[in-house]
Order: sequence, then C-alpha cells, then structure tokens
Amino acid sequence: MPSTRNKQGRCYIYPTMKDLDLVSSESAQHWKKTLSDRLDPKWREDIDNFETDIVLKKKGKIEDRVFAETRLRMGAYGQRYDNGHRHDGNESRTIPFPTDLNKGPETKWDAPGMERIKLPWGGMSADQLDVMAELAEEYSDSILHITTRQDIQLHYIHIENCPSMFRRLAAVNITTREACGNSVRNVTACPIAGVCREEAFDITGYANAVFKYLLGHPDVQDFGRKFKIALSGCKHNPCGLTNIHDLGLTAVARPRPDGTVARGFEYVVGGGLGAVTYDAKLFSDFVPEEEVLALTQATCRVYARLGEKKKRHRARIKFLVADMGIDKFREAVLEERAKLPNDPRWTDFLATLPKFEEKPLRAAGKGIPKTNDAMFDFWCLTNVYPQKQDGFVTVTITLPMGDITSNQARALSDVARKYVKDTMRTTVEQNIVMRWVSEADLYNVYNDLKAIDLAEPGAASIVDITACPGTDTCKLGVSSSRGLAAELRTRLAVKFVEMDEAVRNLRIKVSGCFNSCGQQHIADIGFYGISRNVAGYIVPHFQMVLGGQFTNNGGSYGLATGGIASKAIPGVVDKLLDMYLHGKQKGEIFRAWVERTGKGVIMQSIADVAAVPAYDKDKSYYTDWGSVREYNVKDKGMGECAGEVVSLTEFGLKAADREIFDAQLKYDAGDIQAAGDKAYKAMLLAAQGLIKMFNIDISDDPERVMAEFRERFYDSKLFFDPIAGPTYANFYFGGHDERNAKLDKEKAGRRLKEAQIFLEACHNCNLRMSMGANKGKEGILAKPDAKA
Amino acid sequence: MNLQYLNWKIYFENPAEAEPDEWFKVFSTWIPDAPEIFIDVADYKHVPDGPVTLLVGHYVNYSLDATGRSLGLLYDYKHPMDGSDEEKIRASLQGILRVAKRLEEDAGFTHKPKFKAGSLRFIVNSRAAAPNTPQTLEAVKPDLIKVLAKAFGEGGFDLEHLTDPRQRFSVQVTAKGSPVLAEVLKRLG
Ligand code: HEM
Ligand code: SF4
Repeated sequence: MPSTRNKQGRCYIYPTMKDLDLVSSESAQHWKKTLSDRLDPKWREDIDNFETDIVLKKKGKIEDRVFAETRLRMGAYGQRYDNGHRHDGNESRTIPFPTDLNKGPETKWDAPGMERIKLPWGGMSADQLDVMAELAEEYSDSILHITTRQDIQLHYIHIENCPSMFRRLAAVNITTREACGNSVRNVTACPIAGVCREEAFDITGYANAVFKYLLGHPDVQDFGRKFKIALSGCKHNPCGLTNIHDLGLTAVARPRPDGTVARGFEYVVGGGLGAVTYDAKLFSDFVPEEEVLALTQATCRVYARLGEKKKRHRARIKFLVADMGIDKFREAVLEERAKLPNDPRWTDFLATLPKFEEKPLRAAGKGIPKTNDAMFDFWCLTNVYPQKQDGFVTVTITLPMGDITSNQARALSDVARKYVKDTMRTTVEQNIVMRWVSEADLYNVYNDLKAIDLAEPGAASIVDITACPGTDTCKLGVSSSRGLAAELRTRLAVKFVEMDEAVRNLRIKVSGCFNSCGQQHIADIGFYGISRNVAGYIVPHFQMVLGGQFTNNGGSYGLATGGIASKAIPGVVDKLLDMYLHGKQKGEIFRAWVERTGKGVIMQSIADVAAVPAYDKDKSYYTDWGSVREYNVKDKGMGECAGEVVSLTEFGLKAADREIFDAQLKYDAGDIQAAGDKAYKAMLLAAQGLIKMFNIDISDDPERVMAEFRERFYDSKLFFDPIAGPTYANFYFGGHDERNAKLDKEKAGRRLKEAQIFLEACHNCNLRMSMGANKGKEGILAKPDAKA
Repeated sequence: MNLQYLNWKIYFENPAEAEPDEWFKVFSTWIPDAPEIFIDVADYKHVPDGPVTLLVGHYVNYSLDATGRSLGLLYDYKHPMDGSDEEKIRASLQGILRVAKRLEEDAGFTHKPKFKAGSLRFIVNSRAAAPNTPQTLEAVKPDLIKVLAKAFGEGGFDLEHLTDPRQRFSVQVTAKGSPVLAEVLKRLG
C-alpha cells in the first residue's frame, strides 16, 4: 500500500487518488451528467459557476475572502478547527491537513465544513427528505440537523462534494443559495400556517413569494450583513417570531365596508437577537398584499445603500433603523419605493396562492381514538394540535437537539407518504410537524412513529430544549450548548410526566455564545456561553437569561441574571423550577415571577448550588459538557456569520474570471467561436463589474455597458493604467466592435489574450480605486445613482 | 467498476457492554499524535439508528454505530482511493480490522469491546458509484470473494446482498466458525 507524506512530514497511511480531486471524481461526474438537464437553468448555472470557482480557487485565481463569501452564499459555512488547530486539553495542536490551500481567510481547504440547506417556510416533501437523508449518508455523518430558522444542516462536508450535493438538491427543487453570507437568509414562517385555528389567513404562499422574489435578486447582493425575514399568521402566538427579525410580516385581515376582506401585513423592521437585542419597529400596521414585495424590495435597496458595510458589528438593519429613527427610515424606503419601476412579479404571485392550499390524503376522522395507552394520551396532550379543519390534526415530531438520522428520516418520509400528502414542515424549535393527519389515523401514526423512535412526548415544553451548534461545530462557540441541552433534557425527562403544568410548559433555550443563534433571549430560561476565571482556571460558564417571551412572536427579551458554571446549571435549574413552583402566585407566568422576585433574590437563593468547587476538590467543573478535554477557549476561531464584505465589483470581476477560464477551455477543445464569444463576454462582465461601483442597476445590455464604461472610466481616466495609460481599454473597445464577427483560430486566440489583459487591468483599477488612489473617487462613490 | 467510498462495519460479541461515553474518551485520546488526520469526536448518543460516537477524520471516519439498529464499529473511507477494486476492498478491510484490534487492546476502556471477526457488512457509500442493484452485486462479487477468501479461506463465508433499493449497496458477510481477528488480519497480509 503506498504511503504518503504530507507537508508536516507526517505519514498518512491510506492510499488516495489525487487528494483534491473529489470535485471531478466519477461520482461527481455521474450526478452532473444525469441531473443537469433536470435542473432549473438558473440554479444549474449557479452550481456550474460554483464548481468552476472551486477549480479556479485551487489554481489560486480567486482571493480567499472572495471565495469565502462565494461559498457562504451557497450555504457552505466553516466549522470549528477549520483554521487547522485544535487544543487537546494541554496544548494547541496543528491538524496536518494535506494541502496548504485555504477556502477563506484562516480556513483550510480540507477542513470539513457545514452545509446549510434552505427550506423556505420549513416546507419539505417526503421525496426531498429522502434526498437529504441520502446526502447526509454519503457526504456527511448520517445526521440531519434542524436549525432554529427551519433549515437543515449537514456537518463535516468536504467543500468539493458541494456541487454534487447542490445538484441532487436542485433536482428535488431545493436550493442552498443565500443560505449563509451577507444575503437574504431563509424566509421563515409559522409551521402550522394554513391549518392554524387563529391565523388571519394562510401566509405560506406569501412566504414563498418573498423567498422566490428575493432569491438571487440584484438588489439583495450588496448587503453589509445578513437579512432575515419571517412571516406570521397572527400576532399573539410565537410561531413566526416576527419581532426578532430584520423584517417581520404579520398577517392582517381587514374587513372592507362592502363586507369583503382585504389581506395585508403588519410590517415591522429592525428586530434582532445577537449580542444586542432589538425589538422590531412598526413600519406600517397594514401593507396591502399587492404591495408587500415592492415594499420589501425598496427596504432591501435602502439597507444595501445606507447600511453600514465596514463595521460589521453595526451592519445589521437594526442599527440603521435605530440610527435613522423609524420615521426617517420609513421616509427613505417610501421614497425608494416610489422610484421603483413596476415589476409584474409583485402581484403575479397572488394568482398562485391557491396552489398552496393543502389537501388531506385521508378522510377526516371523528375525534381522537380512545385507547388504554397512557403514553399515547400524554403524547396527544403535548404533540398533537387540532387543526381548524375538523377531523384533522397536526403532529409534532420532537427531535432531540434537532437531530434525526438518515434511516429515521427515510422511515419518517414513509410514514408521511402513508398518512398525509407532502405536508411536513420544520419548526424553529428544531422539530418537524406533519400536518393533515386524520384523527382516525392518529393512533396508528403514533405507533408507526414510536417504532422509529420518533414519538417522544413533550413538544414545545421544558424538555424540548433548543440549542445552537455551540462548541460542537461552531467556530465562535465558548461553551457547549448542545452538551448542556442534552444533559438538561435527560434529567428533566425523568420527571416530565409528573411535572406541574406551569413548569412543564416553560421553554429552555441555549446558545454557545452571545450571538444567540439558539434564541435564548426569548426563552423562559435561557443560557448563552461565557467563560470565567476561577482561581486562575478558566471555567466554562453560561450567562443565565430569565423571563424571555416566546409568545407574541418573541414579544419580549429576557433579563441577564448572572453567570453560572456549566456543570452547576442542572442543579440551578432544579432549584429555580422549585422556587417558581412554590413561589408563584395563582396564574403568574414565569417572567412576572422573575420580575417580582428580583434578580438579587434569585441569585442569592441559587448561590449554594451555583458555587464552583476548587480545582483539586472536583475537576469535573473545569471540563465542559460533552467534552473530555480540560476547558480552554483557544479553539475559538473567526466566525463567518458576518460573511466577507465583497463588493458587487469583486463579484463581477470573479464572474469575468470564470468566463475567461471557460473561454480558454473552449479554445483548448477547438471550439474557436465559443472561445472568442466568451472572451468578449468576460470583458463585458468585468466592465459591468467596475460600473457597479457607481450604478448597481447597470443592465446586461452590451451597448449600455460600453457607454457607461466609456463615460465613467475612460473619459474620466479612472481606468487609465499609470504606465500603459488607456491601452487596455482599447482591447475591450475592439472586442466590442467585433463582437459579432466570425473568428478564426488566430483572431480568437488574440481576443483571448487581450481579454486576459483587460481583466487584469480591471482588477488593478478596482484595487487602485479601493485604495483611494484616484482623485475624486470618494466624491463619486459617495453619491451612487439611486436608480439608473 | 471503479469502487470508491468503501465502508465496512464489524459487529460486537458483546454489544450490551458498549458505553458511548467511554468510546468518546478513547477516540479523543487518539487525536493527538495520530498517524492519520483526525479532527474531532462527535456525540450522537441521543439519536437511534445512526452514529453513536463518531471520530471524524480527513480520510476515514470511525464510529460506534447503531445504524440498522445493531451496534458495531463503522469504518467510512471518504476519499477516492487508488488501485484495483480488489486492492481497495482489501485495504479497507484491513483498515477496519486494524482499528477493531486497536480498540480491543485500548487500555482506556473499562468495558472492553470484543468484535466478531466473522460478522461484517460491506457498504459502498455512493449511490453513483454503486447503485443497490443485482448488477452491482455481479460486478463487485468476484473481487469481494477474492478478498474474503484470503481472510476466511475459500468458501469459508456466506454473502447476503441487502436489497432495499433506498439503502446503499450493502453485503452482509458471515464467516463460518469463529475466526480470530488477529489471524484474519495476518491472512490478509
Ligand atoms: C457574529 C456571528 C453570529 C451571529 C450574530 C449570529 C446570530 C444568529 C441569530 C440571532 C440566529 C437565530 C435567531 C434568528 O435570527 O432567528 C442565528 C441562527 C443560526 N446561527 Fe448564527 N450567528 C452568528 C454566527 C454563527 C456561526 C459561526 C454559526 C455556526 C456555524 C451559527 C449557527 C447558526 C445556526 C445553525 C442558526 C440557525 C440558522 C438558520 O437556519 O439560518 N451562527 N444566528
Ligand atoms: S450562538 Fe455562538 S456558539 Fe452558538 S452557533 Fe451562534 S455563534 Fe456559534
């Protein structure tokens, strides 16, 4: 067996083909060949482009940060230890990955990463779930993880397997585009939309329209940070969590004088969790349905134009809204809205809404079956929701920490196929709901779920704990959120059935750091990871946040109460629950009890259980949950939640690089005309990229691009090379004049070379301008055209 | 055929004794100074019918695994390998048996694992490379038999193709008698 040495001189004992050739492996080629024709052409292009970007990156043709944002926009995140270091409890060790290549600043190419799969409004069919189960097996670790924003994540993925994954997903109508990065993230919505007894109307079709309209939209490509949108069917229930979002839309049905009902949305902006929580501000109490997409687009444009780009910690829209004040912000958005040219898609979707009305597979039941099965009765109490449609219920499948295995997922899709149509959705509490179960089938459904270990009771209760990935896989994790959640869940489950209802219905949420991905601010009892120094040792802790409100769409945030050692938390939770149970007044909710009792009294009462024993008395406190290494914070890396701020110009130049690469391949393959055409297209893209510094709305029309390039870069001399002057621009002008000419090999070859030089010059121009070397640049850049 | 992404699973003599937390500890001790590239250990003991404790590597993942609801050690080779199919099958089988042996000998266990050297599952973790069809079986069988004949002797084993079309291509291997792990390894060379 061949043995190979990697750079560090270490021997790895396994035979491999070329280390970096997963992207062109036979399996990858198989999926490309068999699926490409079936994909939406736009999605296919996105995936093909990403595949080319991988190749270009490996050739050193793309900058680390540009590639990082590129992959983030395709949902491919980094994971802990991807900087190539891991602390073993005593010292930090290098992970000897085979290559030195990076896939982002401080992110090793070979380090496994996470892939986030976007599920708009949490919707998924049985076939889609089957495919995700297969991907988890073949490229990940057979675990599908449901996130707090209704997505599904797979971990430990090699970047080069992504194109195959994307193709297999796209073949069942799933995209990962803009699942991460500075983009419009998944559009979330109540998982019981359409079957909810209290909703104003079914928001599913609207959520889908928002998702579809904004996906890849040119107006959402230039954000300083991510942008999260949620829709809710009503104001008082938690499902949609509109209050904690960048943009929240809550359904409002307004009776008209003629007795009909006008549909619209309460429109709120600038909410958010994270280190600093913000309540969303009311923009309008009623935006008519036909206006929602237009206003959303205008909001995005204002955010892209005025939002902070450099200081990432101030770049979310919540800061912009807070800084401007909601009135000024509203004014700016309405002004922008007035300027937008009409887009038929703003209202076309209204005709498609009936498509989202779901139908049952089986006939309605007449009440939930009576059995002697006490566990079934208990499960019905916590996991079954009677729909507004008589005879049908929605069943919640509780997933511990949001995890489900591939085999379970496949078995679940079989249960779904047997009893319902494609009516499964993920939830922000990291569960899955199956809607439209006939009451008559309920006991059979329960038994079928039980057979695959998916009939745990306790949905939306104290044992149904939400946790972010934390130190398990997240680079920013400080303490083990999943470890703590698992421990609490196990301990609380033992007492669950006997618990008083007031305690049983509390919610616990845990995040590994203050970024709040686990949404601890809207839990009755929330925790986020911190570290504390205890007598010279660093000890894993969590800040305890009490009294947040999950209801009213995440209506109010909890109060930070104090830091508690991770290992002391189970005892503290027991004590707290006991105090609440015995101290609460009749009907008093947890938040009210916390406020009445006071932080000081609470902390005093738990002080004995929260104490950290000295290191030599009990070392276990100095190791985190789910870890065997003595605790340290050395593994923390640079997070990628902010993405890289990559300008539209840089993206344009990258597209041009990709095109010239393709042109070269065509030339080598003897396809001369295509090579020449692509070489011209590359110049066009590069010129268009440069123009985007001034005008993000520049069209694709070659004449327009040429005219603006001339005006903005040639006549102004901005493009002129310090040594070569205008020479390189002439290559583009020449190519433009002859763009429809028939080319022989020599001419095509020349154009290819000229295009390469022109692209180089465009990169240099961008560099000069971003360094402010061109006089007058600030003046022009400070006033980008609002709309061409 | 060009077989890739080969997995093997070996079953326990004493499955009831396996303690996920112990496996977590032992796997963690393997990471520093390993000749292989290991990245981390993941704990999935809260879910059934899948991995329980996973040692994530660059080339290979090892796990205490409960997929199919029977406990074993899973060896999951994640990168394309060189060589003929027979060589790849042999190399991967040697891979899992070596690790099984190392686990049996690891002083970190209080409940020492004991594997059944004659009870294995061969899986091709790629629906592209090996769709779960009779044709794949026909194509794989000759090389698989050659390797297994070395391990267990000519005719010293039974093969069962697990035909569920939604599962990956898998063959259950049951050796006759009770082969000893170290000897099987030695026979494989
Ligand atoms: C500064 C960095 C980050 C901030 C401020 C941040 C903040 C948040 C917040 C507030 C949420 C959820 C609540 C919501 O908006 O509904 C969220 C979701 C999430 N975050 Fe983060 N996050 C950051 C980085 C990360 C990183 C590095 C990871 C680990 C890979 C991560 C993993 C997640 C996951 C899994 C979700 C659920 C996501 C989804 O499906 O979109 N976050 N993040
Ligand atoms: S809360 Fe912190 S630890 Fe948890 S996923 Fe978000 S960034 Fe990572």
